[in-house]
Amino acid sequence: MIYFDSAATSFQKPASVAAAMWEALASMSSPGRGGYPAAAHAADTAFQCRSELAELFGLKNPEQVVFTLNATHALNIAIKSLVPPGGRAVISGYEHNAVTRPLEALGAKVSIAAAPLFEPEAVTAAFDRLIVPGTDAVICSHVSNVFGFIQPVEEIAAVCRSRGVPFIIDASQSAGVLPLDMGALGAAFIAMPGHKGLYGPQGTGVLLCREGVPARPLLEGGTGSQSIRQTMPDFLPDRLEAGTLNMPGIAGLLAGVRYVRRGGLDKILAHERHLTQMVVQGLESMPGLRLFADPGLRHQTGVLSLTAEGMDVETIGSALAERGFAVRTGIHCAPCAHRTAGTLNTGTVRVSFSDFNTPEEAARLIRAFYGVLGRAF
Amino acid sequence: MEHYIILARSVTYAQRMQKSLGRAGIRCHIFRPPRDLTDVGCAYAVRVAVSDLPEALTALHRDGLDPVQIFLFQRGLYQEVEA
Repeated sequence: MIYFDSAATSFQKPASVAAAMWEALASMSSPGRGGYPAAAHAADTAFQCRSELAELFGLKNPEQVVFTLNATHALNIAIKSLVPPGGRAVISGYEHNAVTRPLEALGAKVSIAAAPLFEPEAVTAAFDRLIVPGTDAVICSHVSNVFGFIQPVEEIAAVCRSRGVPFIIDASQSAGVLPLDMGALGAAFIAMPGHKGLYGPQGTGVLLCREGVPARPLLEGGTGSQSIRQTMPDFLPDRLEAGTLNMPGIAGLLAGVRYVRRGGLDKILAHERHLTQMVVQGLESMPGLRLFADPGLRHQTGVLSLTAEGMDVETIGSALAERGFAVRTGIHCAPCAHRTAGTLNTGTVRVSFSDFNTPEEAARLIRAFYGVLGRAF
Repeated sequence: MEHYIILARSVTYAQRMQKSLGRAGIRCHIFRPPRDLTDVGCAYAVRVAVSDLPEALTALHRDGLDPVQIFLFQRGLYQEVEA
């Protein structure tokens, strides 16, 4: 299998990730639950992981780094901390169900700052129009999981700061690829998975929390601190981390974060863009194919959507799978994004790259598309 | 042997204290203090040598870290002291 579905989860991981997970299984118990070596080793690993994530995302205090199950879990905490039932939220036109479903469950009044693809100025202008007094939170994905569109979170953050409205960033597609400085942005929360661009295992996610922002636990339970009290601690990370931590996952995530920091975000992004550009150039002249690509990929990461006239996206995905290629098809859990882009009725085929893909693989994918779509290469 | 223990609100906070003290060149280690030193249940603490306490408190203050409580361990007993 040649894997091009890294926007869902990065399938290929650095060897150090599996090694760290195995080491954790063999040597770690539960952090914060004892003074013996296996508990201390687990606590050290969790602290190192928090510290490295804090450094990567511009936080001074590792206590502001909360481990979650995934980005959806992190977003649920962030949204439910800030948006009360029936509250008001402004979101971008490219949000995932991880944002829109919690808001729906809250019965929130949601305004959508919709703007055309790859037009960041239009996105900022839409947010500027919609963020009004009484807005409980602004929520924006840094990068669209369907189209790879890089949204202008710095500009949106500035609007939020000027209006005193808390800002939640969904960094599911940007963590490990694009720089994000939480201190400079002043965001209330940044949510991300550990298992995509940070190359950790599935079952890991991270919520970065700004100091002083009220955080409401989704779960209550043991934290290894203040155990006699029957309310959750009022300090992070314990307040949001009820229950035993996923230490094999966190150890693997630490190895993944170190891989990303060693390689450098700029190099990873440049590599993924290079492969994206290869596929765009390889397919752009194909009749009937619609590529959702920003010229020069200025506002796009290594995520590319496409549709083909006269062929259902699921048929294309299945035909590619038969040829050994893994791509994602359909709505990508983001009907909001498809509605904004005008692709809700068709869905798209999504090709997404990781640091482990090669130019040879991209070239093979181009040839496979010609074969599947019945066009001469 | 006499020493001070500085109580922290959580294991992560104790780890921040340990890092802060390490930057100041003060050796310490994290441990779980006796149950009767805290009325809220499970806790963590860092242990420092008696001679290191003033410098340790300066370092923690510089890094914005507040001890929950401080105890002197002497002749087998813990006695709370003012920060």
